[in-house]
Amino acid sequence: MKRSRARMLVPLVLTIGLLAAACGSSSSSTPKGDKGGSTSPTTAAAPKLAAATLNGSGSTFQQAFDEAVITEFQAAQPAVKVVYGGGGSGKGQTDLQGGLVQWAGSDSTVKPEDVAKYKGRFLYFPTVAAPITVSYNLSGVKLKLSPQTLAKIFEGQITKWDDAAVKAENAGATLPSTAITVAHRSDGSGTTANFTKYLVAAAGPAWTLGTDKVVAWPSGTQAGEGNGGVAQIVKSTTGSIGYVDYSDAKAAGLVFASLKNASGSFVEPSLESATAALEAATLAADLTYNPLNATGAKAYPITSPTYILVYSTQADPAVKAAIKGFLEFIYADGQKTATTVDFAPLPKAILTAAKAQITKIGV
Amino acid sequence: MTYTMPRPSITRSSASPWRQTKSAVMTASLVLALVVAVVPLVLIILYVISKGWASVNAPGWFTADIPIFSRAVGPGMGPAITGTLMITGAATAMAVPLGVLGGIYLNEYSAASRYGNVIRFFADVMTGVPSIVMGLFVYVIWVLSFGLSAFAGALALGCLMLPIVIRTSEEMLKLVPRELRESAYALGGRKAGTIVRVVLPAAAPGIISGALLAVARAAGETAPLLFTIGFVNQANSDLLHDPNTALSTQIFKNAISVFPGQVSRAWGAALTLIGIVFVFTILSRIASSFLSRKHQS
Amino acid sequence: MRAGFSCPHHQVDPGTFVTTTIAAPSSLAGSQRPPGLITDRIVRAVVFVAGAVVLVILALIAYTMINEALPAFRSEGWSYFTSDVWDPAHSKYGTLAFTFGTVLVSGIALVLAVPVSIGIALFTTEVAPRWLRKPVTYLVDLLAAVPSVVFGLWGLLVLAPALPGFYQGWHDLFSGVPVLGSLFDGQPIAQRSFMTAGIVLAVMVTPIITSVARETFATVPQSQKDAAHALGATRWEMIRAAVLPHSRGGLTAGILIGLGRALGETIAVALVIGSSPQISGKLFGSGDAAASVIALQWGEASDGTYRAALIGLGVVLFAVTLVVGVAARAIVARADRNAGGTA
Repeated sequence: MKRSRARMLVPLVLTIGLLAAACGSSSSSTPKGDKGGSTSPTTAAAPKLAAATLNGSGSTFQQAFDEAVITEFQAAQPAVKVVYGGGGSGKGQTDLQGGLVQWAGSDSTVKPEDVAKYKGRFLYFPTVAAPITVSYNLSGVKLKLSPQTLAKIFEGQITKWDDAAVKAENAGATLPSTAITVAHRSDGSGTTANFTKYLVAAAGPAWTLGTDKVVAWPSGTQAGEGNGGVAQIVKSTTGSIGYVDYSDAKAAGLVFASLKNASGSFVEPSLESATAALEAATLAADLTYNPLNATGAKAYPITSPTYILVYSTQADPAVKAAIKGFLEFIYADGQKTATTVDFAPLPKAILTAAKAQITKIGV
Repeated sequence: MTYTMPRPSITRSSASPWRQTKSAVMTASLVLALVVAVVPLVLIILYVISKGWASVNAPGWFTADIPIFSRAVGPGMGPAITGTLMITGAATAMAVPLGVLGGIYLNEYSAASRYGNVIRFFADVMTGVPSIVMGLFVYVIWVLSFGLSAFAGALALGCLMLPIVIRTSEEMLKLVPRELRESAYALGGRKAGTIVRVVLPAAAPGIISGALLAVARAAGETAPLLFTIGFVNQANSDLLHDPNTALSTQIFKNAISVFPGQVSRAWGAALTLIGIVFVFTILSRIASSFLSRKHQS
Repeated sequence: MRAGFSCPHHQVDPGTFVTTTIAAPSSLAGSQRPPGLITDRIVRAVVFVAGAVVLVILALIAYTMINEALPAFRSEGWSYFTSDVWDPAHSKYGTLAFTFGTVLVSGIALVLAVPVSIGIALFTTEVAPRWLRKPVTYLVDLLAAVPSVVFGLWGLLVLAPALPGFYQGWHDLFSGVPVLGSLFDGQPIAQRSFMTAGIVLAVMVTPIITSVARETFATVPQSQKDAAHALGATRWEMIRAAVLPHSRGGLTAGILIGLGRALGETIAVALVIGSSPQISGKLFGSGDAAASVIALQWGEASDGTYRAALIGLGVVLFAVTLVVGVAARAIVARADRNAGGTA
């Protein structure tokens, strides 16, 4: 009698297990059917690729673009599963070194001393570009900042919004005496690397923290994970200021500052001002380029490139074909997708070079 | 457990008003403590329910993929639910049999031996090892060689569950009356046979209860999974290969966002996870009430 | 003595077989071995191995983690522990600010959670009417099962945005007072701060400490409580004279278990502490803690020393929780002995 009660539990536990298994099989089989139907006409001509999985991780700067492109790519190529986990440019580079992913998103180039850690030669594929905004939370103020003042704010030397240096650049604005809360990234970030690289180039001696994916921020600042995490802090904290990619900042409804560029004019971040900065940049042999602190009356000074990194040797033919197909898609339909999620498409010169580089994969 | 007997009636009349007031004040502060802690805790759960209810009720929440475009609004936590059940299930399949065997060793074969005490001591110590340390450990010994997978997550969760299962199994086996064993021996049973046929069935409800509690704790763990399972949007039914996802890591990822779609998915995932954990906790309660009824009869 | 009456082949105590020799039974009756003996030995071996897995895992954790962390210990020397400069870009890995943050946040959590937990436990064992005891116990146990990431989510999205006004109020209230004035401050006062992390942790560890405290109070002999009542003690005097002194050991152990949990908690803290390492007594300012640094910076730690430095933080956490765990166990053992002596 007593024992039989105890045994009743066993089928109960088993039932839960079976339910779990049932959930699993149903959810894994449904989605592909859904998406096969919605293939867009422009890509229907492309040959269907064999089944493969492309795992990726890295830059959250390009994440919104990648996610949008992957959604479209999967509709065109249902057999190829593309995954992007974000996590920051640092994570993407580390995962690629460890062979955990087939592709990495990164806004910064690999440090020379780290090149030896990779499992072979890798290629940079510039995909899109976008401004890094300086977003802030102060109601009713349209902020203008010079690189020097920006540097002092992020170094913690300017701690109040009504500081003389901020006032001088914003004549006529009513600045409150609120304390400034600086928001930055807690994870290793290409956005941080490019933002600080800009400050090194533009602010001169006012910026002392150097440049890298992680820098030693002053105490009393706030850190969030990913561009979304910084946007979250700026959005919820009065008196805060942080650097966020244009796409996320715009979608989150943040307000951004106009920055004084190398030609001396104050420019607001936008796709046009980013494109203006891209056109001034020169492309290196490995397809990296530096549009930061660009000259030109309309160029936004913190325009960041972003890359996809893949190994040039690919052992698995299905994966090789899938990577090539994915990159080709990015350079065709993907460039049109870019503007819908607030990224700037590549200028023609860079686009042509990048397309040509696809043939180097798997040779 | 002891229950208080009816109190002698002299207490009220003999104490001075000051002492009575003091006692009443302190008693009131105990009630206040309950209110201070339990009310917010209950509010958290109600908050999760109210915020997550809409997400969970949207059609496809339990089966659809997680939207690839993370700013998208709408459901899909199917892959994370599958992942959590798979990872926790695999961890249970590894840790519970091993833990019960370990418990049998401690109680039946080494009750007071030095070696038994050493294992018991370290099992206790292992219960306190932070879950993030288990995650780092599995990353170093498994992920670096074999890559991210649900199985790697299961290894980390299994390491967390093992000592809990060992110690609760031992405690439950301890409760089995000596007479039961002795009568089995008297009927000619050997030790192993007696354990399998007599002792284990008697302790089963307690052991199941302990195991379910361990499962509940493991299902809610996040930190060890951050290093071991990776991230996907579509369900991956392969236990051993390729990244996977889980409810807890989805909550963490979606919590850090300004976009309403992600935030509401985070609340929905939190409600789903709480639901799963509570089911195991309540099952554990039911199992242990079988045990206490047994002891009363 | 037990003996196998049903089977004529082995009318010997099973125990003696094990301790003497395996050759004995096979010589007894030719091909007919006693059926259970080999099984017995196999089972014994299997359960022994299962028990030993714990030792193997712990040894492996200690070995692999220390091994992986060595590069950081070697390159940094003592400054790994004593410096508060954590600057991976310049290969400086000082962890003092993180250990400081971990200890401070766990301390806040205990200061808030311990009195409340003891209060609830006393309420359920001594004050509540009997019909209420089981529901309260069940409720608290159920709350202990809520995953920490859910507390983190709530802390980040609900609690943290609501706190700065409250912090500002406290700051203004104590702004003139010497010690409290600087304690209740931040630079600036932040949503995500030491205090916020401490509050979230306190909410998390309260059910854990409560359940240990309750178990302890339940072991106080009824005779001692009755004696206090018989001497005319009020309820509170009875608690102070009979319940609390008897439970000192168990309570300490419960607090240490809660401390262990607070020290190692990762996700809930990572979400609400602000991730800005600093050594400061200003509770309303942001800081950072060891476990959350590992979780948030692990991904990008491509550099060998960087990764080693993060694993080193894991080693520190492992070592600290080992010490806390051993202390808790030793106290429980002593309390058990004392309780055994008095009861």
